[in-house]
Amino acid sequence: MYEEPYRWIEAVANRRNYLDDQFTQGNPLVGVSFSQGILLLTVNRGTEKIYEVYDRIALGGMGHPTDLEKLRYTLLDMAHVEGFQRSPSDVTASRLMKNGLAPVIKEAFEEIFKAPYIAKILLAEVGATQDRDRLFTINYDGMFEEQRGFGLLAASSSIRGLLAQEWKTHGPLSSLSLALEVSLRLWGISSLLQASTPSPDTEEKGTTPSSTASVPTIPDDEAIASRIRETLSKETLECVLLDRESGKMETYRSLSQAELQPLIPQKFVPLIES
Amino acid sequence: MGQQGDFLQVLREQGYAVDNLPQPSNGNGLSDNYSDLTTGTTVFAMKYADGVLVAGDRRATAGNVVMYDRTDKVLEIDRFSVLAIAGVPATAFEMARILEHSFKYYRRSQLQDLSFEGKLRALSTLLKNNSPAALAGTGTVVPVFAGYDQLEECGKIFFYDILGAEFEAVEYAVSGSGSPTIRGILYYMNRWGNGPVAGLNEVDALALVLRLMTSAAEFDSATGGVDAQAQLYPIVKRISAEGVRTIPAERLKALYAEKVLNHV
Repeated sequence: MYEEPYRWIEAVANRRNYLDDQFTQGNPLVGVSFSQGILLLTVNRGTEKIYEVYDRIALGGMGHPTDLEKLRYTLLDMAHVEGFQRSPSDVTASRLMKNGLAPVIKEAFEEIFKAPYIAKILLAEVGATQDRDRLFTINYDGMFEEQRGFGLLAASSSIRGLLAQEWKTHGPLSSLSLALEVSLRLWGISSLLQASTPSPDTEEKGTTPSSTASVPTIPDDEAIASRIRETLSKETLECVLLDRESGKMETYRSLSQAELQPLIPQKFVPLIES
Repeated sequence: MGQQGDFLQVLREQGYAVDNLPQPSNGNGLSDNYSDLTTGTTVFAMKYADGVLVAGDRRATAGNVVMYDRTDKVLEIDRFSVLAIAGVPATAFEMARILEHSFKYYRRSQLQDLSFEGKLRALSTLLKNNSPAALAGTGTVVPVFAGYDQLEECGKIFFYDILGAEFEAVEYAVSGSGSPTIRGILYYMNRWGNGPVAGLNEVDALALVLRLMTSAAEFDSATGGVDAQAQLYPIVKRISAEGVRTIPAERLKALYAEKVLNHV
């Protein structure tokens, strides 16, 4: 039945609906470039979502853990073979994304008789100077984007667009604590919007109160802070620093909870119930 | 499919020749006079009070010809291990690169560090795979591997024969053409000197390293030793619980002037 072009387009559209639905329960993931390097931030319920790929490159994922693992191995193999046969400086996030990840994900998405990857991936590469930092994000359909200062994985592209605007309102970030505050706030906004944006199904059923609800706007500060407090009381904050100033070839460092606690702004710290 | 996290397996899948290399043919297949091959010379590792020191001279020779006087034969494989190489540098550097990527690949894919035992096995495997070239003389490598075992919380030294047999050194291990001199001196010092070398503090241990290297160069033309005029000092690395650190040349320079050159 899929031989007809129309059927194929319809099948792909169905796939989008199915996949969009898979991400609504996922945790957003934020990456920001700042003076000392790149900070990647998300929260998890046990399984980590941020991984080291190569000396200067890290991966953040959203989606099905098994699919993420498969794609992570694809990247690790490609990066290490390249780094070994050529040089570590030839391993770049740009090439990993364009030659490694994008074709694999796109092919799986369009192969409508097989299961697609339920995965959105962010690749961050820290440069020798801040203007050489790069963040790449790829959607489940193989569509990727390159950004300099900011990258976000979230359930829908409307959230991503809005957050990209919000990011531009921030000045340059000069310290790790500032980077953490800003990325935590951006994470909170995405998480709130994701929870309030109705999934395509509910929209169809007409349960949405009005059509304006599907156009997201930035929530007020108290709502963001309370969302973050609520999440941090139940789930684990996961942060990775690609440290430009590590002085070594390897830049990846996972920040421990002990390191993170003093950096979290007071307004985001969950109240301890006595 | 092979083992999980095995970088050699990934290389094999990519068609890179890592084992079963064709035997180099030199007529009878036995060792011949490969005097034109570049070889490395004196390396050693010794325990001291704070951990392990690994040192290597800088000279690479081919027969009677000095090929290079700034070779680095003490190679950092990862944060906690060092490979000191004697033998054919072409093969040795390749081994070091494979090891470095193997450990990195394992750590990143398996999300845990490869154990110290695992690292030793990886080196043994490379040497075993290299045995045809080692026997033919075209790829002989006799390394010393030193590192910090995080499980047992101590520094360890291992040395190998050309086929990959692995031996743990209690106090020190030496390799290369200048090594018999060093081995003799260390044996003498431990037996009849002022207490074991493994008890020396860092300054005394570093001074000893420079003296040993100078002695090796005195009796072996293929060992570079210390060339203070050209500012050429051995590569010395220190391994402890904090990881591997290179001793800066300025520090060796000061110690050399004070404890080697002007010492009565």
